[in-house]
Amino acid sequence: MSFGKMKMFSVSHKTVFVVDHCPYMAESSRQQVECDVLTKSRAQGVIPLAPVSKSLWTCAVECSMEYCRILYDVYPKDKLINYIVSDSEFHILNSWRQEDQSIQELMAALAAVGPPNPREDPECCSILHGLVSAVEALCKITELQHEKRTALMDTAERVANRGRIICLTNAKSDTHVRMLEDCIQETILEQNKLAAGSDRLMAIQQCELVLVHIYPQGEDTLVSDRPKKEISPLLTSEVHSVRAGRHLATKLNILVQQHFDLASTTITNIPMKPTLNVCEQEEQHANTSANYDVELLHHRDAHLEFFKSGDLHMAGTSTRENGLKETVTLKWCTPRTNVIELHYCTGAYRISPTDVNSRPSSCLTNFLLNGRSVLLELPKKSGSKVISHMLSSHGGEIFLHVLNSNRSTLEDPPSISEGCGGRVTDYRITDFGEFMRENRLTPVSENSHNPSGKLPFERAKSQLERYTRYWPMIISQTTIFNMQAVVPLANLIVKETLTEEDVLTCQKTVYNLVDMERKNDPLPISTVGSRGKGPKRDEQYRIMWNELETLVKTHAAATDRHQRVLDCIIACRSKPPEEEERKKRGRKREEREDRTEKNGNKEAEDKSWQESERLKSLLDKEDQESEVIKDSPDSPEPLNKKPRLMAEETQPQERAKGPVSLLTMWTNRITTANSRKHQEFAGRQSSVNNKFELYQHLKEENGMDVHENGKATR
Amino acid sequence: MRFFQHFTFFFLFPQWEQMRKVSLDSNEEFQRKNLAVHGLNMLFEHMASNYRLEFTALMAFSSLWELLVPFTRDYNALQEALSSLEDYDKTCIESALHGVSNVFQQEWGSTCACQVILVTDGSLGIGKGSLRHSLQTMKQRGEDKKFPLPFPFSTKMYIMCVASAEELQMTDALDNLEELLRLSGGDGQIFTVEGPLCMKSVHAMFGRLIDYAYSPFHAVLHCGNLSSDVQVFPRPEPVVVDEEVEPMPKTVNTDLEIMGFIEIADISSPPVISRHLVLPIAVNKEVDEVGAGATDDLDDEPSASQVAGKSPNFCVLLHGSLKVEGMVALVQLGPEWYGMLYSQADSKKKSNLMMSLFEPGSEPLPWLGKISQLGPISEAAENPYGEDDSKSPFPVQPQVKRSYAQNVTVWIKASGLQTDVQKILRNARKLPDKTQTFYKELNRLRKAALAFGFWELLKGVADLLERECTMLPDSAHPDAAFQLSHAAQQLKLASTGDSQYAAFDHNIAPMHTDFSS
Repeated sequence: MSFGKMKMFSVSHKTVFVVDHCPYMAESSRQQVECDVLTKSRAQGVIPLAPVSKSLWTCAVECSMEYCRILYDVYPKDKLINYIVSDSEFHILNSWRQEDQSIQELMAALAAVGPPNPREDPECCSILHGLVSAVEALCKITELQHEKRTALMDTAERVANRGRIICLTNAKSDTHVRMLEDCIQETILEQNKLAAGSDRLMAIQQCELVLVHIYPQGEDTLVSDRPKKEISPLLTSEVHSVRAGRHLATKLNILVQQHFDLASTTITNIPMKPTLNVCEQEEQHANTSANYDVELLHHRDAHLEFFKSGDLHMAGTSTRENGLKETVTLKWCTPRTNVIELHYCTGAYRISPTDVNSRPSSCLTNFLLNGRSVLLELPKKSGSKVISHMLSSHGGEIFLHVLNSNRSTLEDPPSISEGCGGRVTDYRITDFGEFMRENRLTPVSENSHNPSGKLPFERAKSQLERYTRYWPMIISQTTIFNMQAVVPLANLIVKETLTEEDVLTCQKTVYNLVDMERKNDPLPISTVGSRGKGPKRDEQYRIMWNELETLVKTHAAATDRHQRVLDCIIACRSKPPEEEERKKRGRKREEREDRTEKNGNKEAEDKSWQESERLKSLLDKEDQESEVIKDSPDSPEPLNKKPRLMAEETQPQERAKGPVSLLTMWTNRITTANSRKHQEFAGRQSSVNNKFELYQHLKEENGMDVHENGKATR
Repeated sequence: MRFFQHFTFFFLFPQWEQMRKVSLDSNEEFQRKNLAVHGLNMLFEHMASNYRLEFTALMAFSSLWELLVPFTRDYNALQEALSSLEDYDKTCIESALHGVSNVFQQEWGSTCACQVILVTDGSLGIGKGSLRHSLQTMKQRGEDKKFPLPFPFSTKMYIMCVASAEELQMTDALDNLEELLRLSGGDGQIFTVEGPLCMKSVHAMFGRLIDYAYSPFHAVLHCGNLSSDVQVFPRPEPVVVDEEVEPMPKTVNTDLEIMGFIEIADISSPPVISRHLVLPIAVNKEVDEVGAGATDDLDDEPSASQVAGKSPNFCVLLHGSLKVEGMVALVQLGPEWYGMLYSQADSKKKSNLMMSLFEPGSEPLPWLGKISQLGPISEAAENPYGEDDSKSPFPVQPQVKRSYAQNVTVWIKASGLQTDVQKILRNARKLPDKTQTFYKELNRLRKAALAFGFWELLKGVADLLERECTMLPDSAHPDAAFQLSHAAQQLKLASTGDSQYAAFDHNIAPMHTDFSS
């Protein structure tokens, strides 16, 4: 991505290359390349091959390809090139479509065109064919323009149509150049008229002509350089007169940087020792271990901080090539072994090496592509060092990350343990970690179709909703999630759909629990409780069954199979005691009504006693576990363990602040549902601020044993 | 404009003309300075309770500037400094702005954003050094005496005038202040007193500033049915995606929805536009819930913050698990706008839940692909992370490889061409052992030469191969000679441009000989 705030539809959205393919381009550039480099040992008696020289055409093509290479490396999307070749007619080598935007496509098309035919009639040939075609091409709508216009509907006019024409030619004179400019201006006006009546065409609002006149080495130019000037409100033009070969390459390199807001960084001090494995040594360099420099191009915002702070001049910038090009030098820091760290990174910009297949460049890029990251250090004037950037590859693309090295307002914040919920010590950290792993994301192909019609990320959110319908946050709030035996059911019930096999597994889980109850196996709830023995075994199972029912009920409406799991639980859970209790309750109610007359609100019954015992045991358990559970690294141990008010711990839903969450709503609903099954603790009903003094009647009735089970109160 | 959300703010304080006094109804005379101090105290109190992590500095200025309180979170110190504020001689805003720029950059560098609050009675000074003079002369100055605005860091300037708009309009004061605001980058506002100048109207003016710039950002963090009320600090600012196509700034939703989780290694230090603390808050409803007559029971009740500390909060659970698992939560901030939640450790003991915002858009991180295309792993036929977490579906590979990953051919420098030719010759001498590499390199060169229309090179290399053939030692494998002359012949054919031999996609295949098997 690029954070450069270049407008989406600036002139850089569309670039047309128009390259002259007329007979004179077949002329030699007169820059000779010695390709037969003889090694000393073989030099005797061998006549070296005569040097080869590139034609003007070859120079133009390879430099334009280099321009495209850098552009595609840094902007793989939405900065488009249309390549046109002009001789006796125009040849459009590709289209604006994204799939046509690649070096390979262009190379194949160029090979098909071949070099200019020197025997072709020069009178028939002209760059004009290509330039006219370039204007037409600029009027053609791109995929991005189409997409944005469709998305914007009423405000489609916000999508601008601008573009740039880079013309590589051999012009005859300044007059010839002016003729070309006039011709482009006319064509724009003509084409704009045409475009007004078409859906697939857009009128050109701004066109930038960059005319590069190429002439052979050793000749004088017939065309003069001219900075950008306005020909009309629609057209600006600039002329560069350049010798073929090295000079042309440099010129186009500068142009691509100007056109796309690029800047250069030189990584210095790259060690290429075998020990570092940076580079596969080749024979001729076998014994070298020197440090190398590699120059990279990237969006100039990667240097934003330097520009702003004025650090640039201290940061080892060097000016080369007549002040046309600057580079910032950053020092390689030998990477540590792969530490996975989340750096604070304010930008990441794709890079392109200036000299892509030089040995140092390819060593560096291969090293990065193999998955290593390199930190880069900015030498400061003061001699201090600061790590300012990081090079890292993601999916075969190398990015220059900008690391923040400034102070921020976020320094020294209060720890999370000092805030809301910070004192709670028994969060289900491990369970939630497991939950997070189950709710990790994965890329889904855009071609894959889902029957729900929802996008993958919507489906991910739906899954989160299902998985959290009943999810107690702390260990002391739950029994079932502390039980290994419940795991198979708990994992399955959250699924969107269940198979028959899933239902069977759930039922087996339930039968297993029934079995446990029959065998009177202990539940995790009862194993703790320092004061007293905690709730009785059957009470523990009642609590467990209630919770399990709560969990499954939240999913029962999803499918019939989900419902069957619930039915199974309702059918299997201990019915007889339930009935007994109802009878008891009936009896109790009569008793209570008697007492109510006597004592007003102050009363209790065995049901409520059990409830309160359970709460106590929970509190005790929590007290204990707060020492045992070290899951939560940020929650300190409670400072003082003064007895807590039970209401606070067990009824968070009533204390919840702010908008009611779904969880709260559920819990409330479940509480209501449960309360229908039993008589609400009278104390709770008449409590003040959730507090009620227990066993008041005992004081008043002077120890009268109201508990049918004969268990004495403490 | 890129906005680094590291708010820090700064304070400018003008000289107060002692002569200008305000009459209140009670005939008690209040200096404008006192009114301003009251307004500022109100602002400080607000910040102390709602914005206590903000760093604030206080500066007084006249012909010189003086930093009364350097950047601090200690609002008492700021209030104390206000109460002992002295009177100064004249107003010179330009020197004060230089002061702001220096102090801020020294402390925070230039990537942080700063809110500058200029409190003034609306008098802009007289003669040289006055704002009027500064603005009139700013264009005729050299590099070394540049006007300090715009600052090299993102700025929001709020100008608090302890004067009414009518009063300011009597002179050119308002015009000059507007020009000052424009020069600062335009991202700010001028506040004036509405109605008669009194304590109440000044309070109202500062109240408007608080609403505009210092209201805390409250949101609800959701993860399915789990949720928590949170304050996001510093408050996320609206972002303009493209000034032309989408000029409306995007704002962060007050419902932050977690979509799922990703390993830290997979998200791999993504670029972010801003970072924020996510602080769980307790929305206080206590008052409603406490019935009358229950007050005596509350005597030994722990304080509200202690209660909040002890009730389980989703943020704490999330933070703990993110930290233990080394993961981040992807969170949706609005339509096509995403961010991530993670645990940030300040020190060994202190750590926090942080949220970073990605650049708005459907695909903020190329290595994750489109965020809307990220789905639950349960849908995949096979767990993309592997049963033992040994694999990962990330990074998403782009369809086209970059130039440095695909062995492109560039001959702009002579050395590039020489290296490629030498590579062929080196392999030619090791035929038939290196037959595959020899043809691979040969075909790479052939393709590039055809694309560049560099037929001369094809002939040249053909000549070189023929020469190599003649120079083969007696010990050479007989296959070598066959392959070399075959390759040379094929290159020569290609150099004619004959479509049968010069097709780009065609590759020269090794000659099939009796020796090769």
